[in-house]
Amino acid sequence: MTPLLEVAGVSKHFGGLYALNALDLHVDEGEIVSVIGPNGAGKSTVFNVITGLYAPDAGDVRFRGESILGRLPSQVTKLGIARTFQNVKLFPNMTVLENAMVGQHCRSRTGVLGAILRTPKTKAEEARIRERAQEALAFFGSRLSGYRQDQSANTLSYANRRRLEMARAMATEPSLLLLDEPTAGMNPRETLELRDHIKRMRDERGLTILVIEHDMRVVKGVSDRVVALDYGQRIAQGTYEEVANDEHVIEAYLGTKAVG
Amino acid sequence: MDRSIARTAVFTGAIAGIVVIYLALVGMIERLDDLPIIGRVGMDTILIFLPAAVGGWVVTRPRVVGGERRTTTPGAAAVTGMAEGLVAGVVVELALGLVSVLGIETVRQVFSAVSPALIEIMRFHMAPVPAAVVMIAGTTFVGLAGGVLRVLPKEVRAPIASGLFAIVVVALLQRVIAPAFDQMNIERDWLYSPVTTGLTWIGGAVVFVLTAAAVRFHLGRWLAGILMPSRYPSAAPATAPSDAEGTNREASSEDRRTSLDAGISRRGIAIVAWCVIALIVAFLPYLVGPVVSRILGTVGIFLLLGLGLNIVVGFAGLLDLGYVAFFAVGAYFTAILTGGQRVTFTGYEAPAFGFHLSFYAALPIVIAIAALVGVIIGAPVLRLRGDYLAIVTLGFGEIARVIFGSTWAQSLFGGSLGMSGITAAKVPGVPMNFQADPRHFYFLVLVFCLLAVFVSWRLQGSRVGRAWNAMREDEQVADAMGISTTRFKLLAFAMGGAIGAVGGALFAVSLGSLTIASFQILVSITALAVIILGGLGSIPGVVVGALVLIGLPGLLTQFVDYRLLIYGAVLIAIMLLRPQGLVPNVRVSRELKEDERSQDQWAKHLLEQDATDAPEPTGGALT
Repeated sequence: MTPLLEVAGVSKHFGGLYALNALDLHVDEGEIVSVIGPNGAGKSTVFNVITGLYAPDAGDVRFRGESILGRLPSQVTKLGIARTFQNVKLFPNMTVLENAMVGQHCRSRTGVLGAILRTPKTKAEEARIRERAQEALAFFGSRLSGYRQDQSANTLSYANRRRLEMARAMATEPSLLLLDEPTAGMNPRETLELRDHIKRMRDERGLTILVIEHDMRVVKGVSDRVVALDYGQRIAQGTYEEVANDEHVIEAYLGTKAVG
Repeated sequence: MDRSIARTAVFTGAIAGIVVIYLALVGMIERLDDLPIIGRVGMDTILIFLPAAVGGWVVTRPRVVGGERRTTTPGAAAVTGMAEGLVAGVVVELALGLVSVLGIETVRQVFSAVSPALIEIMRFHMAPVPAAVVMIAGTTFVGLAGGVLRVLPKEVRAPIASGLFAIVVVALLQRVIAPAFDQMNIERDWLYSPVTTGLTWIGGAVVFVLTAAAVRFHLGRWLAGILMPSRYPSAAPATAPSDAEGTNREASSEDRRTSLDAGISRRGIAIVAWCVIALIVAFLPYLVGPVVSRILGTVGIFLLLGLGLNIVVGFAGLLDLGYVAFFAVGAYFTAILTGGQRVTFTGYEAPAFGFHLSFYAALPIVIAIAALVGVIIGAPVLRLRGDYLAIVTLGFGEIARVIFGSTWAQSLFGGSLGMSGITAAKVPGVPMNFQADPRHFYFLVLVFCLLAVFVSWRLQGSRVGRAWNAMREDEQVADAMGISTTRFKLLAFAMGGAIGAVGGALFAVSLGSLTIASFQILVSITALAVIILGGLGSIPGVVVGALVLIGLPGLLTQFVDYRLLIYGAVLIAIMLLRPQGLVPNVRVSRELKEDERSQDQWAKHLLEQDATDAPEPTGGALT
């Protein structure tokens, strides 16, 4: 079976710095894969290469067996890969609902003429966009629904902003969801709640998830497989226990034992 | 008095004095001598004393000392205002003294506006010494008045300030209001004095009282409630969820005041009110007469330019400083398609590609060409943002002007001599002559303005508008969310260009002839000023902006020489005092001002929630 996403021998360097060095990575359909690694290991760079923000210097990225290199971020999203950002990036002055509705953009077609004439087709589509967006928001329960829908996104709490970013990504109806440090900056309680959300995304919505995460409780709790990166290379891969006990990983996080 | 406040008072007073001297030196005060406002008080007198009054208002503003907000006490305000006014008067008198010492003729060699007449005005037609006393006493008094006005409670301050402002506005708008009174057979001598042609004292008092009452009793909010029942929902909303109290409280308390009568359908009232407005708009040219109608026609053309530019700048966030290119494309292509002739030194010649279409047949072609030009201009600048985009588009605007005026394209567009003989937009069976009766043109422009408003409004609330909005807020994220930024940028340029070209087409048929002098960069700047004044991204804002920036200077012929000076002053004031514009787009004003407020509201809501049942873990950083 071909994996849903395959990153094959991808290298990316900025000047003399290798952010990614012949990295191999794959995600199978229905899997939750965590990417861990110390700061600067190249985790976010992988996401940026997959979503078309960066062009890699070598290697290939395949989605459902087909190369997606050279596609624009918007085209990659349309293929079914959605992402969130490490430092939350919402449309701060649009309402919560509008943010999610933007996610539906690539699943709708209304153009200028349809918008001006507001044909029955346009109206039906607009209603559908709204419904799907609300559905995505409803995933997070009352956090993003009700009166909050009509508040601008910048009124939300930090945790809710993170949730909204995920809801917006889900509103693009992806098959693969890339979450970049979804629990960063959340308190322990919110972190645990989010861990359950990530599992539910897969179990209830059938999403395949690739998640960059620092919080080991989350990594342990959600991952089918863990991939550890350092210096742009994969240094370990396997179940959480395997990776956590891997000496390369321990070395990468804690450094080598001092001699003598 | 605090020393720092004293210093501020002296400093502000000096600035107020310098402003008066400046206004005198540019000739504004003398020019406005023959513009009576109320009784025998002319605009010149108002200009002499207004800076001191504004200065008094400014120096008594609440200030933050050591993190504490301190309002000025009435006593302190009176003293500070007086000090400020005194300094202003002294500065002006010093300048006058300097002129007497040097001699008018000497000063005149540098400042040509300094004339014996100006000095007479500045001395209130009195001898120097009593004039100086009057001047200093006057500025001291208005400084005091400005200062005291500021510290009065808002319910008193706002009506008084608005009332005074309204007196000036009503006096200046005599050219609109007086003919309207005549048309409706209303006696108007009580309002406008037939002797001085300014307001009578009684008329002024009536205007003041009416305006003050309207402001005091929130007439504007009441009207808004009537006209827009959906935006200002009624007091008993079935839809408002109970947990929305924290955020809706403010709005709903206003609505309680605005709801007239629960028995009458608010929607019905709104429809009637809008019909009244529509009737007024439809019969406006017959109320105000041909001269004002011509000005309204120009307002309409700039309204179209503003609406088009608003799509590019306000909706999509692409700062385009070369918008005049579309205006020129619209005008010139309308000219060659409707049988315009090239002007040459020997007479008229047909352009190389001339057609004799009717205006209505040519318009779709012109719109298509303009949209294409939008794409052509947009394509090379797709990667540019902000300032870079602005500078490149500025260049495109100039390129368009140079091409249309070049000898190279002379066989097409007539070069520097321009084109003439453009067929007017005639509706079959209706006698129309724009030159003879500008009212006909008003209706033509009105139709297209309504269309453009409709198009803008529909686009704004659609998937397309949402995509533009997302792109404006964060282009990279919009791209990552599946919006093809290339496509939507080009679409914005094309749509904006198309609407601007309609403005150009109407401009061409309104005059019947074109020269390149009409397509200066100033057109781009004015269109941009219109949407900034009104509020970026706000459709009603564009309308207000066009009326204020194009309509007012058109009516106030005395101000014509100082139009750009006033534009500049108005724009600076807007940027400082109300950066979201006069009629802001909800979203943009949020962006600019309400960040903090909403944050507080949210925090408060959270606290309340926590206090009751603590359902939401707090502790997330508030940014």
